[in-house]
Amino acid sequence: MVTIALIRDTFREALARKIFWVLFGLSTLLILFFLFLLRIDIVAGASATVSLFGRETNANPNVDRLVRGVYGGIATFLYTWGMFLAVFASSGLVPSILEPGRIELLLSKPLSRTHILLGRFAGNVLVVLLNTTYLVLGVWTILGVKTGIWSPAFLISIATTTFVFAVLLAVVVLIGVWLESAAAATMITVALMIISPILAQTSLMMRLLSSEWSRNLWRVLYYSLPKVYELGKMTLDAIQSRTFAGYAPIWSSALFGAVALGAALAIFARRDF
Amino acid sequence: MDSAYAIETQDLTKVYTSRWTRREVRAIDGVSLQVRRGAVFGLLGPNGAGKTTFVKTLLSAVRPTHGTALIFGRDASQPESRRPIGYLPENHRFPTYFTGAGMLDFYAALSGVDASRRKKLIPEQLELVGLSQWASMRIGKYSKGMLQRLGLAQALIHSPTILILDEPTDGVDPVGRRQIRDILGGFEERGVTIFVNSHLLAEVETLCREVAILHKGKVALSGKMQDLTAGKGYRLTVANPPEALAEELRGRATSMAVRDGLVDFQFSSRELANGAMDLLRAERCEIEALAPTTSTLEEVFVRTVSK
Repeated sequence: MVTIALIRDTFREALARKIFWVLFGLSTLLILFFLFLLRIDIVAGASATVSLFGRETNANPNVDRLVRGVYGGIATFLYTWGMFLAVFASSGLVPSILEPGRIELLLSKPLSRTHILLGRFAGNVLVVLLNTTYLVLGVWTILGVKTGIWSPAFLISIATTTFVFAVLLAVVVLIGVWLESAAAATMITVALMIISPILAQTSLMMRLLSSEWSRNLWRVLYYSLPKVYELGKMTLDAIQSRTFAGYAPIWSSALFGAVALGAALAIFARRDF
Repeated sequence: MDSAYAIETQDLTKVYTSRWTRREVRAIDGVSLQVRRGAVFGLLGPNGAGKTTFVKTLLSAVRPTHGTALIFGRDASQPESRRPIGYLPENHRFPTYFTGAGMLDFYAALSGVDASRRKKLIPEQLELVGLSQWASMRIGKYSKGMLQRLGLAQALIHSPTILILDEPTDGVDPVGRRQIRDILGGFEERGVTIFVNSHLLAEVETLCREVAILHKGKVALSGKMQDLTAGKGYRLTVANPPEALAEELRGRATSMAVRDGLVDFQFSSRELANGAMDLLRAERCEIEALAPTTSTLEEVFVRTVSK
């Protein structure tokens, strides 16, 4: 009951922030685009004619490749703008409960600090999970009905997007609890997202870096920080039915998220308000 | 839960250390205080005396550097010790996305009240604090006094056995203040312990039966209100005493005041008052009244913090 109350409170606060409505609105726009503006007529099973805004395109693409391409585009959108907006929208949700006059009242209730913070974390993840599910399931259903191709691989992006968001949210929560600054939480988390594709060029950097200590530093950064880029690439590979190298990006990112969240809980438990 | 005390602190100390200069500030310093079950207790002190830090240690919002704090015999750091507490913070900042009813629902749920009981209790509490007609209005539109009353309803909704109220009448108009006093009076009759932290001395004097005055982080004075404000002396009122006698009594009294043919002499002890009465009787003077006089809480407070 208490956990549900904490999650509902996070939902209420998220909905009171306009940025979450922007996120929801963008998802709805994308769904409406596929519902009304993109028309795909299947010709002889494997090829199609595609019309956009009522005008037929010259291309006569393979419908399976077309659908997977659209899925890939949506997954990329979720990974870049969607993730950025979600991080931006979530960055204030932890500092807001730490405000004087609000935190004392929460702490006066018979629940542990761990419970309070995890309740907020879970509520925040659920908000993004619902929005991602709404978008992915919406596009998947529309394209499935229009093309007859029901590729379940696209649905993986619900899990991967939410997972990466949860890892990044752990950083948001850590910075939020530590510095009580939504701006700092956003900046550091977005920096982690931006640095991820650069760090992913490990084999290239091992050849370019001249000293052993700089190569070691690179390796430490690569193995310790969340692998946002590689997880995105894994999602695309899954959608495109390509094989991927392994599951290391998943567990190493999960480990990073767990450590960040653990640190946030430890700081929160020891702080005076 | 079998302790005789609702609140019991032993040598409670909180030292804040500056992050960069390592300078130490002792916000509370060895505070040992007992508040009996069912007492209406006021905590007083000038700004910076450590009142808020003391309250926060009771709620475990601040971790003590040294000493213990118990709520009904249970360590205040345990979440379960806070189940019987109803708390109204000073300068509260309730989330403005709530409606009045929504806010009560949220905090009651956190206090462990189940959904069916909340449904019954929320209208009752809103009625109690006079906010029924604003139940579905967003609290961002509430006045300060309305927020204070809603905060009180929030503190009461789970039927707490101890109320910790930080400036409960802050921002409330005189009628609302009277209403809050009446509500708290009802809870006192039901045996609920009420712990008030306030700088409004008149409010505390009206409401509380026991007080403690914190000064520079330490308990400077504590006791029952009637004991602390009693014992200032005796006022002897006499009708038209002879001038020579009045002069003699003026020398023995701490003060003398004349009003409408009556003269008030203030004596510091019972012996001096009795001696004055003997003299007046010998001169066959009319004694209008003899009454023990008390200090106001404000006088006690000023005396204590001026030491």
